[in-house]
Amino acid sequence: MSAFVRKHGWTLGLALLLLALTVVTRLIQPTFGVNGFESLARAALPFAFATAGMAVVVIVGGIDLSVASMMAVTGVLAAVLMERMAGVPALVIVLAAGLVMGLINGALIVLTRVPDIVVTLAMLFVWEGTALLILETPGGATADWLEASIRGFFPVEGIPKALLIIGGAIGVVWLPIRRSKLGLSIYATGSDERAAFRSGVAVGRTKIAAYGLCGLFCAMGGLSLAALTGIGEPVPGPYLLASVAAVVLGGVVLGGGKGGLLGPLIAVFILRIIRTILTLMAIDPNVTTIVEGTIMVAVVMLGTWATTRGARR
Amino acid sequence: MKKLLTGAAALAIAATLAPAGFAGSHKAYTIGVSNTVQGNGWREQMICAMRAQALVEGDVSNLIVAHRNTDSAGQLEDINNLIEAGVDAIVLNPSNPDALNSALESAMAQDIVVVAVDAGVTAEGAYVLSNNQEEYAYLGAKWLFEQLGGSGDVVYMRGIAGVSADTDRDNGFKRALEEYPGINVVHEVFTGWQQDQGKQQMFDFLATGIPFDGVWTSGIDNVIVDAFVESGAPLVPIVGADNAGFVQYLSEVEGLEGAAVTNPGSVGGAGIALAVDILNGEAPDSQTVLVDPVLWENTTEEGQATIAAAQNPNLDPEWPVSVTVPGWTDYTMEQIIACEGPGEG
Repeated sequence: MSAFVRKHGWTLGLALLLLALTVVTRLIQPTFGVNGFESLARAALPFAFATAGMAVVVIVGGIDLSVASMMAVTGVLAAVLMERMAGVPALVIVLAAGLVMGLINGALIVLTRVPDIVVTLAMLFVWEGTALLILETPGGATADWLEASIRGFFPVEGIPKALLIIGGAIGVVWLPIRRSKLGLSIYATGSDERAAFRSGVAVGRTKIAAYGLCGLFCAMGGLSLAALTGIGEPVPGPYLLASVAAVVLGGVVLGGGKGGLLGPLIAVFILRIIRTILTLMAIDPNVTTIVEGTIMVAVVMLGTWATTRGARR
Repeated sequence: MKKLLTGAAALAIAATLAPAGFAGSHKAYTIGVSNTVQGNGWREQMICAMRAQALVEGDVSNLIVAHRNTDSAGQLEDINNLIEAGVDAIVLNPSNPDALNSALESAMAQDIVVVAVDAGVTAEGAYVLSNNQEEYAYLGAKWLFEQLGGSGDVVYMRGIAGVSADTDRDNGFKRALEEYPGINVVHEVFTGWQQDQGKQQMFDFLATGIPFDGVWTSGIDNVIVDAFVESGAPLVPIVGADNAGFVQYLSEVEGLEGAAVTNPGSVGGAGIALAVDILNGEAPDSQTVLVDPVLWENTTEEGQATIAAAQNPNLDPEWPVSVTVPGWTDYTMEQIIACEGPGEG
């Protein structure tokens, strides 16, 4: 038990913080209930997928600045395709497009040996332009079932569908990979690239695969944007910095090799519920961002302090 | 840790209960505001007009402002949060006419009044109060083309690709262009409604040496004049918006011929007034209220007099000069500059 707590201390701490914030929300607004939780889960959808994608590339030792742009491309692609063809094939094409975009990012990084941050910064603009080429102005349409799939509860009142989708989609993709050779390679490469190479890990292929996974998660994020709004928007949303924030808050070490996906996902909910609390309290919007940033830094500092103290004991 | 959280919770409760107070005999409406562009003069004036109008409306006890840079999904989140906060009305500047329907419909299902300002929404039952953007572009473009005698090359500086106000203005601009076949667009560019970007783009184009006879710019205007003056290029007629800095230039810069088309950000204040009217059972007959623009030019004495009357040195140079919407807003110039609303903490 204590070994479990030590290993997952950060994640447990985040879960407790989320619980505490939920209680605070209830205290401020006693009517905040399952419906509020449901709209919170829906708001978390695009952030959750962007964060999952970012977490994978950070674990492998990189960073992807093009996540928001890839979400814009896949979002408009979904809206354009679903206006013209059946929903399910469109869904498959969009997911494939995300995977391919991610693989291109990864391949460019590995083949050119230009740093991740430079390549993905360049690709941020490339994908942004691509989104505008696909759809110049917001428009298109999504299948009705896609919009319905994220609204309401399943199977019982109290469990939002959006939460199931986040857990289900990320779990189905990530859990088998994490337990496979590829998962081990991702952590090994992130932790020490040279050591991993000398131990026989195909470092290049592992990196490309990690970026591909990031693209796939971004496609899910783009689909959730389309499902939320019912249209496609070519201008990227605020998902890049938000995903980096959630990844750091979630206990993934920038530099790679450490952390998982559960922590960052809980962090996404923490950041969303903080915004809800600030809105409920009618805090001046210019102060809101300062409060959000301060809370984030404070939590990470407190967490690091607790971890180092625990390690020394 | 536990103590800290209890403390934080207590603090939070105190902070929310304090401003509720007692509203006396007045009705005590809480109005929520949602906006998705922060740091732009026009939008800041809109927010200040909303606060000032809420302050002078006796029936509004609290204004919750969700004001940040985000996309439609973020605005959906903000609107859902406002619904959770139990507001009586939501006044929003929509990021897109179609994208917000799920949240707006769920608000109206809970008898929350929805008023969209500046741009429309397609949700059934929502009220829309906006400046007529197509007319805005048409009016200014027509003046410019006539000023050039119906023929010449113009630079066309737009806003943000894909934003509906930009699309509407483009339609108005193209309508004027069709009426003047001798006019040719020599350069089309998106300023992103960013001052620095627009200025740089004008510098870059002046540096190419390609001749042109006029500029139509979508609200990024005083810096365009700056670019001409700083690079020493001869001034051409420029059409912009009624931003304070540009209007000042129209009366001060030697040799500048130009026109400002009004596009008051104070429609936000009118939106609050409309929401209160609807809450008090005085809904207008039509779901859509359009505010038509006016053109102020400096080439006639009459026009110069209008411009002189509109100026106020205390205004932020990036704010539109038209700070009120006659017939809708009740606040004073001082109140909108103070930018304080009721019940904000």
